[in-house]
Amino acid sequence: MNTKRFIIWSIIGTGISSVTTQLLTIREFLSQFHGNEITISLVIFCWLLLTGIGSLTAKTVKRSSLRTFTLLTLIIAVWPLLQIIGIRVFRETVFIHGMSPGFYPIFFYIMIAVAPYCLLTGFILPYAQKVLNDRNYPFRSGDLYLTDSVGDITGGVLFSFVLVYWLKPFPIIAITSALLICVTLLLLFSSRMYVLFVSCLVLSSVFYFYSTNTFFEKRTLASQYGDILQYFESPYGRIVISREGDQHTFWESGVPLYSHSNVIRSEEKVHYPLSQLDRVEDILLVSGGFGETLDEISKYGPAHVDYVELDPFLTDAGLKGGAIKKVPFLAIMNTDGRRYIKTTQKKYDAIIIDLPDPDTFQINRFFTSEFFSLAKKIMKKEGILSMSVEYAPNYISDIRKKKLSTLFNTARLHFQNVIVLPGEEAYFLCRDGELWKDIPSRLRLKSIKTSYVEGFYYGNVTDERIRQLEESIDRDEYINTDLRPRLMNIVFHEWFTKHGTSPRYFLLVLFVFTGIYLIFMKKEEYILFSTGLATMGVEMLIVFAFQVIYGYIYLKIGAIITASLLGLLPGAIIGNSLREKGKARNKLLLSEMLILSLLILFLIWVAFFKSEPHPIYFLAYCFFFSLLCGFQFPVATAMIGEKSSPAAGCFAADLCGASVGTLATGTILIPLWGIRAAVIFLILVKISSSVIILFSGKIVTSK
Amino acid sequence: MHKVITRKEFLKSVGLGASALVCASAGYGFLGKDDKRPKSVKGHIFKNDAPKKPWKWSVEGFHYATDGTTVQCQICPNRCILEPGDRSICRSKVNIDGKLYSLTYGNPCSIHVDPIEKKPLNHFYPRSLILSIATTGCNFRCLNCQNWEISQMKPEEVRHYELFPESVVSEAKKRKTPSIAYTYSEPITYYEYVYDTAKLAREAGLKNVLVSNGYINRKPLIRLCKYLDGANVNLKSFDDRIYRSLNGGSLQPVLNTFKTLHTEGVWFEMPTLVVPPYVDDTEMIKRMCGWILKELGPNYPLHFLRFFPHYKLTRLPATPIGTLKEFRKVALQEGIRYVYLGNVPGHEGTHTYCHNCHKILIERKGYLIPQYNLENGRCKFCGTSIPGRWG
Repeated sequence: MNTKRFIIWSIIGTGISSVTTQLLTIREFLSQFHGNEITISLVIFCWLLLTGIGSLTAKTVKRSSLRTFTLLTLIIAVWPLLQIIGIRVFRETVFIHGMSPGFYPIFFYIMIAVAPYCLLTGFILPYAQKVLNDRNYPFRSGDLYLTDSVGDITGGVLFSFVLVYWLKPFPIIAITSALLICVTLLLLFSSRMYVLFVSCLVLSSVFYFYSTNTFFEKRTLASQYGDILQYFESPYGRIVISREGDQHTFWESGVPLYSHSNVIRSEEKVHYPLSQLDRVEDILLVSGGFGETLDEISKYGPAHVDYVELDPFLTDAGLKGGAIKKVPFLAIMNTDGRRYIKTTQKKYDAIIIDLPDPDTFQINRFFTSEFFSLAKKIMKKEGILSMSVEYAPNYISDIRKKKLSTLFNTARLHFQNVIVLPGEEAYFLCRDGELWKDIPSRLRLKSIKTSYVEGFYYGNVTDERIRQLEESIDRDEYINTDLRPRLMNIVFHEWFTKHGTSPRYFLLVLFVFTGIYLIFMKKEEYILFSTGLATMGVEMLIVFAFQVIYGYIYLKIGAIITASLLGLLPGAIIGNSLREKGKARNKLLLSEMLILSLLILFLIWVAFFKSEPHPIYFLAYCFFFSLLCGFQFPVATAMIGEKSSPAAGCFAADLCGASVGTLATGTILIPLWGIRAAVIFLILVKISSSVIILFSGKIVTSK
Repeated sequence: MHKVITRKEFLKSVGLGASALVCASAGYGFLGKDDKRPKSVKGHIFKNDAPKKPWKWSVEGFHYATDGTTVQCQICPNRCILEPGDRSICRSKVNIDGKLYSLTYGNPCSIHVDPIEKKPLNHFYPRSLILSIATTGCNFRCLNCQNWEISQMKPEEVRHYELFPESVVSEAKKRKTPSIAYTYSEPITYYEYVYDTAKLAREAGLKNVLVSNGYINRKPLIRLCKYLDGANVNLKSFDDRIYRSLNGGSLQPVLNTFKTLHTEGVWFEMPTLVVPPYVDDTEMIKRMCGWILKELGPNYPLHFLRFFPHYKLTRLPATPIGTLKEFRKVALQEGIRYVYLGNVPGHEGTHTYCHNCHKILIERKGYLIPQYNLENGRCKFCGTSIPGRWG
């Protein structure tokens, strides 16, 4: 095997490692910070931006060195382990233990934590091309893009469909870095750099010693969780069971889900809705079946309680750890709650939604008009639906007024009666039948004893507080829908208020830097920038729309992301093979038109959201969209000409565009103005790039 | 002949290997160690943030020093030095043209009637209701604040009522509440409003209750004590580092407040929120009890409250009930006579037991009191005088 082949394998290895590390890093940050779309978008944004900057720095390199390349490759192989350890350990050093930091601290922490790896991986790809070309191994930018895509696809598929089910992060890193480590060692050996070979062998051994040591991995989490009894990684997140004295706490992605004896929450959640009913037979519990919940429900003697929880790892741990009571009337279903409600034939007396405030697309789907409509279909005639959102009993701020009003108005569209009880949270009870506010008297009628409601209700949920809450409801406030998640936007706003910050300055700086970058960018690079932006934007829209229709099914979401990656490869192959034939400008223009058509098709579907296409259409859409993206890269680099070393600039443009697309779509456009506005924005961006091609005479293929 | 390695290459390789080992061991060394680095969440002065002119709900500050331009607020130990146009850490005081103004006089943003047990006060006219008011502002930055939407806001940022001191008194009379609580946010930051209201309330035969973090200087506190009947002052921990990192304050001024309240004859109770793993150290609780016994005596009730994740402190577990029970046991063993558990509905630690005969004096089921075995402030069973203020 010659040097060229080793280098090509290292490009593939870098792709595998970088995609896997990116996914692991997102999951890690979700467990370390607030698990909302803002954190996800920030990680992706920082990742793509820094990788783009890394690519850009490769432009300045005049001469390449095989030794430097080999050592950098080895660093890329081992760094993910240090990165994940660093994120865990320094989080506890930089921030106060147990505290959720705000936007800017999270942003800077992410930026610093991922910078070394991203800059390196961004740098290494164009540098690899340089190493090859300097050694008279012709390797065009299109080839580089294609080879990298092979690695990305392999990494994505390997992680999403295999590794995530079986392994924890450290062994995953060990596996996905293996190719890079092997290639590095082979390169060093074949180049007769024996001392370096031995040094790297030692380093690799240390790396494998730590990355395969489960005790070591668990210890890196101890500063966050304390005494860890059990630790799992499920496809949906991190589950930890910790011990504090005689208490066990269940954690889901860094957030304490349940600690023993949370009587107040269990009683409020169960008795406020169930006490309203004359007869309680069938109950649907969407999440929140831990702890005393089932004990409280059992006081009504139900025939069936169906408990829907997305993550089977979580319910298994709960059952084994005794946090979910094994009662005869209980049936656990591990699926997406909304999907279950949509497909079940059963009818329920009560549906109890126990989810956090809707700060993700996934959770927002349980607070929308469309959801209430679905839920009502599976409710018995006198059935009740309940849910709660955070609020402060002593003062209802304007943003919370907005939140309560939006949810109230949305629920009111589907139920004749909606009341809001000011408990520890604001409890919404929705029913077509009568609703009572005096819960203790209802419980007395049913001879149900409670520890909290009986004794505290009249002091905490006073008539005056109920009235104040009712008066705070603004009937003119908007409603929350699937495709216009206003509630999510309000919860984002609330999150920023809580931390006393605003994303304004960040967006301003981003806007200015993007502007400067666009000014100095080549026209061909702008096309790739806009396509990168549109591709990530579309990916977010598709994942979002798919979740709304089909629910959060990990495998299928993974399939969508894989389809997006898969499209790049044939696109790059076609682009590579057609780059020399005929006018590149026309080919680029054609691809632009096709991208625009796809976006318009999406807009039409969104605007007339009547049909629910088969999942295969989503996959096909993602595939074709990324195919066009993949097609454009080699064509654009051909237009710039290989003599100008276009790979670095084109990679940078593509990645920076993708980073802006993620942020703009995921955290601003969809939550603020809805899915339709997001598609229109993407259409406008692509129109701008088409116009540039159309009216620019300068874009001609370099010979 | 092929040279195996140059000196430069050798040094590079050694450096690389050594760095890897150092990184790995350094990373390992970090794990599981307690972080001893002091972190503080103390607030800061808001430069050039004051309104141009005092507004309707402004009054000149009561305790401050000035050189004609710069002012120093002397209400609390933050002792904010404000240039003209600056706003204090608590967000309620501003320097306008060389004068210190309070912006929270007569503009409460929260008014409710609560059971007295909710404060919590277990030895202060049980079963009575209390008119509870709050304006914005706090001199702390507690990471677990339940009322952050008013405590961490400026007066101009919230909707408020207009209720000047005399109206507060009439409101209490109208609602037939025998007491007024200055609560929810931090009443020390609206000291002027509290003082004037408390004075009028006393004249009208109403009781005044301060629910506070106790972060106040001695002089203004002594002045206020003349009109105070009861207080609930948080003893958030007995460790200055924890005060700094979770609350943005310091311990000693709070301890001084307890001493002042004690010497001035104001009845008070001390809640401690047991935040794991910060405030769940038994040795610290023993030291705390030792200090209480030495400086204040055994009679002031101590409440251990169960923590639940809230506000910014959301990535901690709830306090284990076993820890609370253990603390109660320790505090009773150390000699504190009345030790309660809070946020644990139905627990026996919520009842009042006679310190002499250990029979139940007040049985509590939430805010309801099924059993009340006190007569004229004495145990019905053994006649022992029970410390507190009883109706």
